[in-house]
Amino acid sequence: MVKDRMTPIERMTAYNRGEMIDRLPCVPIVGNTAARVIGVKVSEFRGNGKLIARAHIEAYKLFRYDIIRIFTDLYTQAEAMGARVRYPLDETAYLEAPAINDISEIDKLKPADPYKDGNLPAHLEAMKITVDEVGEEVIVTGALTCPFTNASFLIGTEQLTRLTIKNPEAVHKLLEVSLETNLRYADAIIDAGCTPSLTDAMSSCTVISPEQFREFSFPYLKRLIDHIHSRGKPVTLHICGKTRQIWEMMADAGADCISIDNAADLLEAKQKVGHRVRLMGNVKPSEVMLQGTPRDVRKAVIECVRNAHDNPKGYIVASGCSLPTETPFENIHAMLDTVREIGYPVSLEVLERGV
Amino acid sequence: MSQLKERLFRELSDAVVEMDEERAVAVAKAIVENNLDAYEAIEKGLSDGMCRAGRLFEEEEYFVPELLICSDAMYAGLDVLRPHIKPNGEGPRYKVVIGVIEGDTHDIGKNLVKIMLETSGFEVIDLGRDIPPKKFVDEARKTGAKIIGISTLMTTTMDGMQEVIRLLEAENVRDRFKVMIGGGPVSQSFADRIGADGYAENAAEAVKLARKLVGGAV
Repeated sequence: MVKDRMTPIERMTAYNRGEMIDRLPCVPIVGNTAARVIGVKVSEFRGNGKLIARAHIEAYKLFRYDIIRIFTDLYTQAEAMGARVRYPLDETAYLEAPAINDISEIDKLKPADPYKDGNLPAHLEAMKITVDEVGEEVIVTGALTCPFTNASFLIGTEQLTRLTIKNPEAVHKLLEVSLETNLRYADAIIDAGCTPSLTDAMSSCTVISPEQFREFSFPYLKRLIDHIHSRGKPVTLHICGKTRQIWEMMADAGADCISIDNAADLLEAKQKVGHRVRLMGNVKPSEVMLQGTPRDVRKAVIECVRNAHDNPKGYIVASGCSLPTETPFENIHAMLDTVREIGYPVSLEVLERGV
Repeated sequence: MSQLKERLFRELSDAVVEMDEERAVAVAKAIVENNLDAYEAIEKGLSDGMCRAGRLFEEEEYFVPELLICSDAMYAGLDVLRPHIKPNGEGPRYKVVIGVIEGDTHDIGKNLVKIMLETSGFEVIDLGRDIPPKKFVDEARKTGAKIIGISTLMTTTMDGMQEVIRLLEAENVRDRFKVMIGGGPVSQSFADRIGADGYAENAAEAVKLARKLVGGAV
């Protein structure tokens, strides 16, 4: 078995400088699977920063991936602004009711205070503990749901999408208050010693059109990313679903790295925007990581590496989206082990042999 | 078809495709005033419009927001026409029980499928979201549905889909129903694995699949 010879931070720093590394960076995007690592119920994470930190530190130590992402669900900021979130005993939380039912109630919405509202303080605590414990060797990020997606949880996805056509001004007003929460939370994440990790599911072309993205997602994403850059942090932007038509805009918004899922093609992304942004993805989280065997994972990783290892701005082997909670550990190990065995620089011969 | 009829049906279809709710209502009223057949107007006007919108959706000209607003126009026109349908104007329709599986409250995809099925002549019994597996089975039996449609957007709830099929088998009624599934994390291979009768990638595909499952009778 091939062992790592660098810490994640040594590896990422060297990779960014174009220096020698032992293997490509690799990030199976572990979310609530971290609960399985320490044997707790997912709902125990609610309001418990220490436990979230413990789970993610242990998950990192078990798998040794390159980025820790403190994440429980997408709704933390919306919840802090009044949305109702349901917490099943041992599954990922989900949105029960948006913060407002009708756009006429928009004035009720106030930007969240990340140090006071909802579960945000617990998440910040988790980030701080994690950075204190392992921040010298691994990058620690905090998940941040972007303006448009967060807004969809404030008023409901169906309503928001309707309003993009029927009342665009109201949508912009909603996005302003959503962005204000994002900016405050981003600052708090950075003050905790972490890097915000941006995710914007609803901005994908599976939901809205590229024109709608240009009007409703892009300007706010750009302001958010500009702000994070002004504080000296790089930005990874994850959008799942179909994204081909918005890759250029994701780069224009300032993303340094774009994380895409299996509804998008890595090879094509490399050809189109690889000279502008780093790519991250896109092993299928459900079909391969959850339901597949280690053999399937190995095959998928090799395919991804073949398509993207020579991306001009670099490539991070990753799952296309957060891993389902019950993803078998052996599949996560298989992902890392395959990347270790491929090594660096990547040799096509090694890939052909199937490693 | 008379010229007036043809023109009004076309206008109704256009109003739906062009997301013009007011015009859909106005044209529907004109159809009623001119004593034209309401059922035919639904079929050749409203459904035709949704069908065209569905094609634009497949071609990535339209996205979810457009499709929803087209359906608003379609339903507004339907409200005007429905009271004027002559009883014999409608043949038997296949029923579909549809819902989002327990643990998941994302229903935008399910709602689109419902809209497209309704406009294609199916009668849809919408159970809503966060529905326990047992309820799919009970409702399908009660209503005499031919198809059970289950949707999810979350990987955490996929097991519930399999549970519906297990329950159908346990109650010895599996062969009475066709089960179709859809949603972000599921796939044809998942459908095969749990023994569902079909998987559809989007709302337009769901209609084709439903037609196939009932033997092309709709």
